[in-house]
Formats: sequence, structure tokens, C-alpha cells
Amino acid sequence: MQTRQSRRPGELVFAIALVVFSAILLWQAFAISGFSGLSTPGIFPMLATGTMLVSGLAILRDVVRSRPVAGGRSPLHGFVADIVPLRLSGMIGLVALYLAAMPWVGFLISSAIFLFLSILFLWRRSLLMTTALTAVSLLAVYLVFRVVFQVVLPAGTLMRGWS
Amino acid sequence: MVEIIGNFGLSWIDPWLLFLTGIGTLAGIYVGAIPGLSVTMATSILISFTFKWDVNDALALIAGVFTGGVYGGSRTAILLNIPGAPSAIATAIEGYPMAQRGEAGEAIGLTTVMSVFGGFVGILALALFAPMISGFALMFNSRDYLLLGLIGILLVGTLSGESFAKGAFAGALGVLIGMVGLDPMTAEGRFTYDSVTLMGGIPYVAAMIGFFGVGEAFAQLHNLDLPAIKQKIDRIIPKFSDVKRYFGLAMRSSGIGTIIGALPGTGGDIAALLAYDFAKRTTKKPEVPFGQGCKEGLIAPEAANNAAVGGAFIPMLTLGIPGDAVTAVIIGALFIHGLKPGPLMLVETPHLFWFTVGNLTLANVFLLIFGLTGIKIFTRIVECPKAILIPLIIVLSAVGTYAIQNNPAHIYWMLGFGVLGYFLKTYGFQVGPVILGVILGPMMDANYRRAMIGARNDIGTFAWDFVSHPITFVLTLSFLLMLLSQTPLWPRLTGWRRKRGPEGESA
Repeated sequence: MQTRQSRRPGELVFAIALVVFSAILLWQAFAISGFSGLSTPGIFPMLATGTMLVSGLAILRDVVRSRPVAGGRSPLHGFVADIVPLRLSGMIGLVALYLAAMPWVGFLISSAIFLFLSILFLWRRSLLMTTALTAVSLLAVYLVFRVVFQVVLPAGTLMRGWS
Repeated sequence: MVEIIGNFGLSWIDPWLLFLTGIGTLAGIYVGAIPGLSVTMATSILISFTFKWDVNDALALIAGVFTGGVYGGSRTAILLNIPGAPSAIATAIEGYPMAQRGEAGEAIGLTTVMSVFGGFVGILALALFAPMISGFALMFNSRDYLLLGLIGILLVGTLSGESFAKGAFAGALGVLIGMVGLDPMTAEGRFTYDSVTLMGGIPYVAAMIGFFGVGEAFAQLHNLDLPAIKQKIDRIIPKFSDVKRYFGLAMRSSGIGTIIGALPGTGGDIAALLAYDFAKRTTKKPEVPFGQGCKEGLIAPEAANNAAVGGAFIPMLTLGIPGDAVTAVIIGALFIHGLKPGPLMLVETPHLFWFTVGNLTLANVFLLIFGLTGIKIFTRIVECPKAILIPLIIVLSAVGTYAIQNNPAHIYWMLGFGVLGYFLKTYGFQVGPVILGVILGPMMDANYRRAMIGARNDIGTFAWDFVSHPITFVLTLSFLLMLLSQTPLWPRLTGWRRKRGPEGESA
């Protein structure tokens, strides 16, 4: 068994969450058919969640044994800096907005806005360059998948009356 | 025989299939080469577009992507010292020093030719042994499939990642994801919470693209600012004398690669490392020491990981057991196309088997062509800033996930799995076992229950069955040994043997 020297920020909370999550799921797996038989639908889910709980506890034990985050930073500060920096939380937010808007405004408009904003956010070059890149990549995606591969893309409920 | 040749050559004659195999190989090479974009990611995103296609078209593209993807990682390993895929780790050790000496072209040329040799060995093994193994596999019963599934997840879980506990957790999580929905035997809901969406189960393609596409893209946000290194590339076609000289080593490494690829749970990554180790041990007087740009150390892993492709198709097509994460994704695609990989596949649909063999061969021919050309454009594409690449991957992932059933709910699953995958990866978990669990979980559940019903729900009979049948007994023994090797007891046992060993010899 490999033991690391120091703990990653937020790792303890993550390990605890895994254990709690596994325990709840084990209880729900038990609720499927209990111990009413050996070939019931609930047995395998119980085995899976049981394995998750046992291995989750072993992971938690290893994390507790490892040295806490070094460098005198608060764990929360370390978590924000190393695990979910602004770049990541910003991107997750953008992706969530993009996917939420897609069924509504359609693939083309939502992807155009998403590509433009995310390239601008990550790359930080001129607006003109970003617009050109967005247009070229979106055109390529559209041509390859919609025209050549004939993949159906969300048209969007907002636009339904127009087309 | 005529039929076999006809099916084998179908993709060679049909222009559209020829095009698809070629474009698949090309796409595989480029996506596989971009550091951080794994073959699994390439396969899961690219093949999601094929679900509405004809089976042959889809199989042609998949064969190309897989073959190209496994090879692609070597190029970035040589040029940038960043393995494009885990299977190219050993390649980077020897390839990058060669590039630093100005021999990047030679390294790429040799790698390409030897990869193609390896690929052919793997395919030959597939064509020869798959029919035999599938005949043998007809003797397997539900207990054996349960054990094969467990061994597969266990191997992937233990060979990768930081600890056994993390591998086991990931595998079990995958099995759990596979359980959600109506139980196929009794139609009872499992983890459905009375939601109609959950009753249909969690779409596993959304899970695959989420974990490997979106999760990987999020993880790559940490490496946005890595500078690109430019290399001078001259001669690419390798010297004939070199090819002749290393042919034997390439063949032996391909043998290792095929066998490792064919074992459930082990794929190109492990094949490459074992072959590298083999080359290191058997090469007595290398021109250049290992670790400083030794050609033997470059050839062995590359021949092995491409041989593992053909090898990996053996358990996938004959037993329905994926060898690693990529084959798990491919098996998922085969299910969606209505195919049932397993011992009966060769009996019921032999044409598809020979078509696949022909396709893989063709993909290797394309590999040779694309591998020895287009290096200049290639370096430009690899240098494409991640800041542009990452948003594009997310758009492609969304298109791919939506394309399966035109269901917007699936893209939310994809995002959820992407975020979960990011955290799992960050905290040292591997997502490969999760996908293997998703694919193998329902199969293992069904086989466990069949075996238990066969034992009349008696735990004693059930346990006795595991030791009283020869095939099952061998599998049970392997499973228990693998489990034991992960416990703290194992080092003590082997330590005891080592201590005893020399004494025993002297006595």
C-alpha cells in the first residue's frame, strides 16, 4: 500500500463525502429487496455499495494518516488555489450555462456564445481573433457533424416558430 | 473461405468504408497525440456520432480510431517528452533523448514501422485464436463470466491509480451506475426514486463522454500554460538496415503485447511497459544506454502497444469482456449497434468478425502512410493552444452525447459525470475502472443471479460450484490470488519465500 507524504487540499472532505455517499446508497440498496433471498435484484447493488463503503473507509483512513496540507495556508484557500482555481470554476459555470441554454436557443447560437466566451476567458487575445476562431471552429463542427455525419443537433424551442 | 476473404476485403474495396477507416486512423493519430486527450476520449467522443450509422460504417471508423489513437501518443512522447497516452510513457523515455540529439525524424519513422509490424502480429493472433477461444468460451457458464468480470475490473483497478482501495471504489461505483434503472429480470426499480428518467437507467455513453471527455478537459485546464517545444525533423523513412536489425525484437515485443492485450483488464499501457522492461533485460549491448535514446527501448513498447490492439479484440469479441477502458467504450458501441459480443458472435455473425479483422489490417496500412507523412502539419496541430482546444472538446462532447438519443437530459448527465470525474482524477482515482464497471456491472449481476438460481439459492452449493468445476476453479484461484496480492499479507508471504529461497537452493 502506497502512502503519500502530504494531503491534497480538500481531500479529507472528499473522502468523508465518499464514505457518507456510499453509506446512504448501501442503505438504499438494502431497501430494494433486503435479505429476502440470495438472487433478488437488491443483492448486487448491496455488494457494489458495500465495496464502495469498505474501500471508502480505507481511503479515508489513508487520508487521515497522511500529513495535512503544508505551507501554513488554510485548507479552504488551498482548495480554491489548487483544486478549483477561478479558471476551472469559471469554465464549469460557462459549460453549465451553455448546456442549460442549448435546448432553448438551439445548438448554433448557444455554441457560438459558449465558444466565444470560453476562448476569450481562457486565451485572452483580441476580440477580432476570438470571433474569427469561434466562427471557423463552429463552421467546421457544423459541416462535419450536421452536413457530413448527419447528426441531429438541438434546434431550440425558441426558434421553432421561425424555421 | 471465399466468404471470409470477401468480408475481410470489404473495406478495402468499398470507397466509403475505405474513406472512413482512413479518416478514423487519421483522427485517432491526431487526437491520441495531443497530450491529455486519451485514446479513450477520442474513441468515446468520435464513436458517439456513429450510433445512427450502418454497422459496417461504424466498425470501420472505430477500428481506425483505435489503431491510430494507440499509435498517436508516441509522437508527442518523442517530440515533446509528453506521452500523449499512458501507453507511450516508455516511448518518451527513449524517444525524447533521440529528438534532442536531432534524430526525431528517425525515431518517428522507426516507431511507425515497428508499430505497424506489431499491429499485424496482433491481428494475426486475433484471426487465428479468436475462433478457437470462442469455441472454448462456449463451455463457460454464468459463474465463469461473473469471475471474468470481477477479474477484469480488479486488474484495471489495481494496475492503475494510487491505491487498491481507490481502484476498488472506482470499479464498484461503475457497477452501481450500471445498476440504476429497472432490473432486467424482475422489472423492479433500483435507485430510481420514482423518476421516469432514472427508470431507463443512466446512459453509459453520457458517463463515458463525461468522464473521459469533459472530466479530462477540466483537468487539462491546469496545464494551459505549458510551452510548446519545437523540434527539427529531417529524415523520416527509417533505414532498411535498422528495420532488419530490430525486426526480431519487434516480433518478440509484439508477442508480449498480444498476450497482455488479450488478458482481461490489461491493455496497451501495461503491454508497453512490460515490453520495455523485456527489451532492457534482453538487450546485452545496446548502441546507446537505455534511458538516453536507445532504439531498442523505443521499438519494444511501440510494437507491443499496437499488437495489444489486436489482442484486446480477442476477449472483447469472444467473451464480451473488455480488456481495458477503450475496449469497454467500443463494447458499449457494439451493444448500441445491436451486436452481442460473446462466444456466439463468431457463430451468428462471422461476417462481422472477418470484416473487423480486415478493417484493423487496413487501419494499419493507413497508419504506415499517415505515420510517415504529414509531420510538419502535425507539429502545428499539437501546438494548438489548449485554450482553444478545451472549449472545442466540450462542444464536441455535447454534440456526441446529444447524438445518441437526441435527449437534452443526457448532456446534463455528461456534465455531472465530467465534474465528478475531475474530482476523482484530482484526488488520485482512475476513471477507467468506473467505465469497466458500468459495462460489466449488469452482465455480472445477471450472471451472479443465474448462477445462484442454478444453485437453488443455496449458498453452500453456490460456493461448492466455484471449486468443483475445472474452468471455474482456475478462474476462482486467479481471482483470489489477485485479491491476496493486494493485501498487506502478500509482501510478507513473498518475503518469506524469498528468505526461504536461497536456503532451499543451498540445501
